[in-house]
Amino acid sequence: MGFGQFLAAPEIKLKVVTYRDVFQNTAQETSRFGEEYENSSAVIKLDQKDIAKLAIKDGETVIVKNSFGKVVVAARKSDYEESHAGIAYMVNSPWSNSLVPDETGGTGVPKFKDFEVTVQGAKGEKATGISEIF
Amino acid sequence: MSEYYVCTGCALLCDDIEVETENSKVKTVHAACRKGVARMKGCSDHLECTIDGEKTDVDSAIAKAAEILRNADKPLIFGHGNSSSQAQKMSIGLAKKIGAYLDDTSSFCQGPVIEAILQDKLKTCTLDDIRHKADVIMFWGADPSNSHPRHLSRYSYFPRGKERQRGWEEDRTAICVDVRKSETAVICGDNRFYQIPVGGDAEFMDALVSALSSKVPKTSFGFDAKRILELANVLKKAKFGVICVGLGLIYSLEDLNPLFRLMDKLNEVSDFNLMPMVGQYNMRGFNQNLYEETGYINRVKFNSETGVAEHGPEFSVVEALRNKTVDAALIIGSDPLSSLPLSVSRYLAEIPLITIDPCRNLTSSKAKVTIPCALGGVESGGTAVRMDGVEVELKKILETENLPDAEILRKIMEAI
Repeated sequence: MGFGQFLAAPEIKLKVVTYRDVFQNTAQETSRFGEEYENSSAVIKLDQKDIAKLAIKDGETVIVKNSFGKVVVAARKSDYEESHAGIAYMVNSPWSNSLVPDETGGTGVPKFKDFEVTVQGAKGEKATGISEIF
Repeated sequence: MSEYYVCTGCALLCDDIEVETENSKVKTVHAACRKGVARMKGCSDHLECTIDGEKTDVDSAIAKAAEILRNADKPLIFGHGNSSSQAQKMSIGLAKKIGAYLDDTSSFCQGPVIEAILQDKLKTCTLDDIRHKADVIMFWGADPSNSHPRHLSRYSYFPRGKERQRGWEEDRTAICVDVRKSETAVICGDNRFYQIPVGGDAEFMDALVSALSSKVPKTSFGFDAKRILELANVLKKAKFGVICVGLGLIYSLEDLNPLFRLMDKLNEVSDFNLMPMVGQYNMRGFNQNLYEETGYINRVKFNSETGVAEHGPEFSVVEALRNKTVDAALIIGSDPLSSLPLSVSRYLAEIPLITIDPCRNLTSSKAKVTIPCALGGVESGGTAVRMDGVEVELKKILETENLPDAEILRKIMEAI
């Protein structure tokens, strides 16, 4: 056990934009309770600069939270996307929906593609399972 | 000649699907995208007929569902995106009979655009028009490579249409406006990808209107004016243009006025249509069916005595659950516990809940009554409405013991 265990992991504020992914969507068609759906859903895509700020490695888990919820998901470095420091991408799923605010201004439409979270390294904690979300 | 079936994986409703069956299961699916193949092969988590988690027969489940709805003061009927038009019409009838709140997924996605199309406020066309005529195709806040995988190959970019014999190489220009470099943006190419900041869509639209009016386009986020002018030139020269509108755009706009302004300007200087990138296979069908019946596309509450529908955001599924105004819910062809913010949908677990679906999902796992239905387009037929408003007939491929969705609703209605 190293000294690092006792240090608080750095925490950053990010804006989340949700998106669709055909592989995750396919897994959803087969089973919403399957491992493939979980692995392709419990993910947050981060810019390289934000990964560096969090002092984590690509693929490690992070805690993503706000006043509406908290999930542990795998952090992945974005690939073909242009640099997007300060903005994170999450695939549309029960994991992202755990964090979408219920505020609508009475319009009936939540801000699915524009909400704020804080992200922090999860120090090896496992990603939240579908049965733990609710 | 081969027999072709219709895929219900999304609102493209691809009608060129061939299947091979074995032991009463779909073994192989030809021509569909990967999502469509998974849809047609069916899920591995079949929904069982249950009351309070205990297995039961369908008649008992239907009787219990009827009892819940009969005893509710303010029931909600929600879903319908993955339901046949026949089931949707039954749902409307049921909501009228019991004075229910009635809503669908369009309430928090493509609703405003579908409404404007049905009210003739936006010029639109069919997918076949796009395939045969479109030379300039804009994907705005849409990523069909992921959401509608055959959109580009079957209709909008790659095919050689009647008036577009040279296909994508020479005859078509694909443009992407998005906050994120999506896979569709990659196909459009860096020169034809316009990355804007989150929430910057309305401003970018107005800048484009300026450019189309030969004025210098300006944005608060300093988008290169030369690139906007260059884009305006491409749009001006279009013989048959189309804007494929995705959720990225709809969620970004406070109202549709910037889109109306852009479409008006484009149709002054060129010829442009709008295509709503509807997700679930029969969401547009629900909107059209309810519109014919009430003049509204979603978000209604019926008066059980007069049959008159009231309409407004307070009757939307999100506000009804957020404000806890409903006291029972019937969910059909949808999984709101997955697709709505948990802070909103959590309330569903506090009220008597009925789920009708072919597969287990998060909502069914919290339901008091679950009733499995036949999978539309595979285990039952009926009709559905494509994203462009074209009605498509679904064909049954396999036999099943599960009743079609419309039949379950008819029996519930009878039992009330």
